[in-house]
Amino acid sequence: MNQVVAIAVNTFRETIRDRILAVIVVFALLMIAGGLWLGSISLGEQGRMIKDFGLVAVTGFGLIVAVFVAASLVHKEVEKRTVFVLFSKPVSRAAFITGKFIGLCGTMAMVLAGMGLFLFALVWIVAGQASGMVLLAVLMIYVQLLAVVAVTIFFSTMGSAILAAVLGICVFVAGQLSHNVLALTRLGKNPITEALSWVVYVIIPNFSAVDVKAGAVGEQTLAWGQIGLWTAYLLAYIVVALALATVIFRRKEF
Amino acid sequence: MTAAPALDVSGLHKTVHVGFRRRPVEILKGVDLTVSPNDVYGLLGPNGAGKTTTVKVALGLMRPSSGSVTLGVEGLAHVGYLPENPYFYDYLSGREFLDFCARLFAIDAGARRQRVDELLRDVSLEQAADTHLRKYSKGMLQRIGIAQALINDPQLVLLDEPMTGLDPVGRVEVKRIIERLHERGKTVMFNSHILSDVHELCSRIAIMREGRVVWEGAVAEALDEAPSLEDFFMKVVTA
Repeated sequence: MNQVVAIAVNTFRETIRDRILAVIVVFALLMIAGGLWLGSISLGEQGRMIKDFGLVAVTGFGLIVAVFVAASLVHKEVEKRTVFVLFSKPVSRAAFITGKFIGLCGTMAMVLAGMGLFLFALVWIVAGQASGMVLLAVLMIYVQLLAVVAVTIFFSTMGSAILAAVLGICVFVAGQLSHNVLALTRLGKNPITEALSWVVYVIIPNFSAVDVKAGAVGEQTLAWGQIGLWTAYLLAYIVVALALATVIFRRKEF
Repeated sequence: MTAAPALDVSGLHKTVHVGFRRRPVEILKGVDLTVSPNDVYGLLGPNGAGKTTTVKVALGLMRPSSGSVTLGVEGLAHVGYLPENPYFYDYLSGREFLDFCARLFAIDAGARRQRVDELLRDVSLEQAADTHLRKYSKGMLQRIGIAQALINDPQLVLLDEPMTGLDPVGRVEVKRIIERLHERGKTVMFNSHILSDVHELCSRIAIMREGRVVWEGAVAEALDEAPSLEDFFMKVVTA
């Protein structure tokens, strides 16, 4: 446990001190603020426009941080040979993978909290009332991105950092669409495509089930029970992805 | 009764597979060596002889294809290791890095602070303790590397090319550290191409060539057979 905490703290320091992260966050805040302009040209929907655009920006920039940082975390340690220092000490591969994940969870929490609170303040100023739903939507984006981080770390133990980042993005996009694809193939009544889309639906996490952006902008009533269940499913998914990453990483020699 | 060896390597083979066709390359072809407790042991050999691979297998960084490695200490908690051409986390300061290494051994906060300060003093990096490692020179990195290898006060210390990149002052300091470790009853094994340092520090040596130990014995025995360690080394590796 000590090793996991030490690696997590070190990973948090590594990622939070990276200047590129600061640049991405500044861009994200500018983009969220850009919602003010979009709101000003919409007719009477300024508050909704800012929320909508802001949450998309939080998702997009959060995704960039999640996949690119997660993809490089393990690779950097191997390429720069800092793994020699770690694994010549009593550090297990499981502690390494878990520590890396928890450290990045901390960084993602800081990044998303920063963006979320900025958006919350903006909505409050423009609409004149606080919207707790915005913060909840950001929290659910965080849960989705943690699953993306775990999956990207898993891919990074198998291939290059670039490939892991690309696959991480693909999983996120596929996870947003898998539910709709399954519904569409059911309409087609072709058993093969239906079976295939069912396999994809099971393998790829269903991110759209925990996406509450539509609820935050008032387009949809949220089914809390279902969201809770899907959140538990995503957490289990994270555990499985990290366990698989550990199994693969255990086979590596340095 | 003789004490159990600090490190015993027996019939160690290591084959790696390289390239697209996974061509097998045998790096170690049956390495045998024994390091006794409190020895300062030199592992010598030309580049590519298998010295680093032997150490990596001993530490579990690589798996042996066959043969065995037995550590005379209870696990890696009692081993210190300095890799060749070390690279560390450049976003950490020297102090933060050593603190991180100490945390990996679950050393409690008070003892950690004391140990870190003590090691920074031993490797003469007190002034640079709060400077980020990215600003360290090669010699300073080598010294912080030695400090991290000693953070757990190990019984067995494995140093891969510890003198590389050091200026004469740095080399003297590292030699003094190795001498102090020996005085404190620790076992030190190090790889080096600098034979004068080996002569000065080691009681026993092994010479490797093409994945095998071709000679193992006391430095005094080697010097009985040749006027200098350099001559003996040349004689053995070119035989």
